[in-house]
Amino acid sequence: MSLLSVKNLRVSFDTETGRVDAVRGVSFSLGRERLGIVGESGSGKTMTGRALLRLIRPPGQIAADEMRFDGIDLLQASEKTMRSLRGPRISMVMQDPKYSLNPVMRVGAQLTEGLRLRDRLSKPAAYAKALEALIAVQIRDPERVMQAYPHELSGGMGQRVMIAMMLIPNPDLLIADEPTSALDVTVQAEVLKILDDLVRARGMGLIFISHDLRLVARFCDRVLVMYKGKIVEELAAKDLLQAKHPYTQGLLNCLPRIGGPRSMLPSLERDASWAG
Amino acid sequence: MLIEIENLSVTFTAQGKPLRAVQEVSFAVAAKSAFGLVGESGSGKSTILRAICGLAPISGGSIRIAGETIRHDRAFSRQVQMVFQDPYASLHPRHSIDRTLSEPLAIHGLPLSESRIQQALTDVGLPANFRFRYPHQLSGGQRQRVAIARALMLEPKILLLDEPTSALDASVQAETLNLLSRLRAERGLTFLMVSHDLAVIDHMCDRILVMQHGRSVESLSRQALASGQMTTAYARSLFAASADRMLPP
Amino acid sequence: MSGLITWLRDPNPASRMQSRLGQSYLNWLRLRRNPLAMIGLCITLVLLFAALFAPLLAPHDPITQDLGRRLLPPLTAGNLLGTDDFGRDILSRILYGSRTTLYIVLLVILTAPVAGLIIGTVAGYFGGWTDIALMRLTDIFLAFPKLILALALVAVLGPGIENAVLAIALTAWPPYARVARAETLTVRSSDYIAAVKLQGAGPIRVIWGHIIPMCLPSVIIRVTLDMAGVILTAAGLGFLGLGVQPPLPEWGLMISAGRKYLFEQWWVATMPGLAIFIVSLGFNLLGDGLRDVLDPKSTSK
Repeated sequence: MSLLSVKNLRVSFDTETGRVDAVRGVSFSLGRERLGIVGESGSGKTMTGRALLRLIRPPGQIAADEMRFDGIDLLQASEKTMRSLRGPRISMVMQDPKYSLNPVMRVGAQLTEGLRLRDRLSKPAAYAKALEALIAVQIRDPERVMQAYPHELSGGMGQRVMIAMMLIPNPDLLIADEPTSALDVTVQAEVLKILDDLVRARGMGLIFISHDLRLVARFCDRVLVMYKGKIVEELAAKDLLQAKHPYTQGLLNCLPRIGGPRSMLPSLERDASWAG
Repeated sequence: MLIEIENLSVTFTAQGKPLRAVQEVSFAVAAKSAFGLVGESGSGKSTILRAICGLAPISGGSIRIAGETIRHDRAFSRQVQMVFQDPYASLHPRHSIDRTLSEPLAIHGLPLSESRIQQALTDVGLPANFRFRYPHQLSGGQRQRVAIARALMLEPKILLLDEPTSALDASVQAETLNLLSRLRAERGLTFLMVSHDLAVIDHMCDRILVMQHGRSVESLSRQALASGQMTTAYARSLFAASADRMLPP
Repeated sequence: MSGLITWLRDPNPASRMQSRLGQSYLNWLRLRRNPLAMIGLCITLVLLFAALFAPLLAPHDPITQDLGRRLLPPLTAGNLLGTDDFGRDILSRILYGSRTTLYIVLLVILTAPVAGLIIGTVAGYFGGWTDIALMRLTDIFLAFPKLILALALVAVLGPGIENAVLAIALTAWPPYARVARAETLTVRSSDYIAAVKLQGAGPIRVIWGHIIPMCLPSVIIRVTLDMAGVILTAAGLGFLGLGVQPPLPEWGLMISAGRKYLFEQWWVATMPGLAIFIVSLGFNLLGDGLRDVLDPKSTSK
């Protein structure tokens, strides 16, 4: 049985300027694998990720024929059940650690908070577990980081702390929304490697949301390509370069390449029928 | 050489402690060429652009444009303009496109004509009826086009580009880079461009300076970059991390 | 009507006017979604209406005394809200009093926020010594209790409506300066300010054209929230006999006069008190609603 199954997911917003459909009938299922969701801004990829945790603020509305996680109906679940799922069962890593860590709390306190409140661990036990998590994300001097405030960490370090925090409760599913786009290329590679190793070692499901096709191709097993709130193509990551859909092809072709020609880059011709 | 930068140092004071953002960097940019600065965040590449504009304190060295040491006066703003990284932050949220584009003309007492604004919009590939829209009614790529149009209103010779496409989607990035290339060819502009993306820099620039921790590491020609002929370890590691941006064999 | 709405909603306006009106229309739609703000707006409109048409609405003259009909309870025929100790109709006095109240509020909001806005933006934009000097001045004014400072000023200048307004304005500007300065500090280092500086704009143009528009929403919100306070301060001055002079109808003064009869003839003080309460509530609700509409942080998307 699959870990997560989603059928005909829709997210819409009623605004002053009329109704906006951000996600329009997305269906997929996920086992303990790495699934990439790619698309440009406004394609609904982030909304899809948030809808899974029912983290859409009003006036946004979620509707689906089915949204089931490990036998639990996410649409019917009470807010209390959802709270018990968010974190321990399904975790989410956001784009920018600056906005996801509490700026006035030491990293150590933030890491141990959940352990002490939820799992009722003693102070030394929680500390040891947090330290272990920091070592798992390859932070070299975990004791110093435990004592630091978020602003004292670099971007890459902050994102590692975020990943450590999300992985402490050992969730079954990790949703990573552009986890590395705020980072430099060399740091990006390291963070992805860490994330990859942890996901493999613990056998989690991973939904990796990104705008970067090349990154997703390298890092995931399967890729969903979204355009205007719909999935236009689903394919194995290794076949990405042989994508059939003109949108996916266009996205790949319009990237500049080192040593490429100086002529104009091919632009993406959008076809109205893709959004159908 | 149109832009000559010699031993430039920029020092900020952060909480009483001096922070040396740029240390003794020198390079020169020929007229009508495009020069790229590459490096990771904190390498000081954007600070150099801000120092040229007078937005960062210069603590040593000199910046000369067309042989003269720069003075930040009105004449300077008709010579050098800048396009910022984040199109969501670089347009005034309460000014319409019309106001944003007519502001530079008003500052310099130039005649404000309808056709001038419409022409500016057409030049950057925006429909003329966008004129009275507000930034929040535009997409990221459209905003960046407005920012480029604004920078070109005063017809400068030099355009400083601070990561102009890093906040944009791939397809929009391609369109924006094409627009910049076209404008450079049409108007004989000189570009000084900052990016962390080697592929973008390679596509746009003739010469490249690799920076790290506020210092220049290595200066490369475009050919040397494409063929991977770096001499320093740091430039090589940057190149290796961009392996997926290479031309497929 | 529908033609007008499509014109307002046109995503590609053809003129500055249309684009501004279109934005205002969207703001109106957003405000309309907030029922509390609409209640606030209704109260404010009723106040404006009452002040404008007081002579037509009031059943009696607010000043003429009729000692034979003094201290009548509410719901007496001819005197809906009762009469005061000189036999004057309370309803008429409240209606006429709304004119005084509005006059004071209008004069204050035309002076204090403007002064605060200019001082705050100048201090925030230039920083350094300008900032220190202007902000310490602000602190000095803030350190005085508002009513005491107003009292001292009125005592020096003499009682009267204009002097009361002046005193209230002088005590009301520092919070606006604080708000404007805080807003300026966040805006000052943004890219769009850097861009306009790079185009050669001088400080006056940057402050007036680019920084003040960003501070305006928070100042406007603050003003609507402070209006209640202004009414209360004016009423307080009136209560102490230092604002509007009798026999002119003014709500604070009316409460003051009713104090003597508070236990036997409660309505004399309660009715103007209720008027102050309702109007203050209206301004507060409207201010809260405007915050959601005008806050630049929430409209960025």
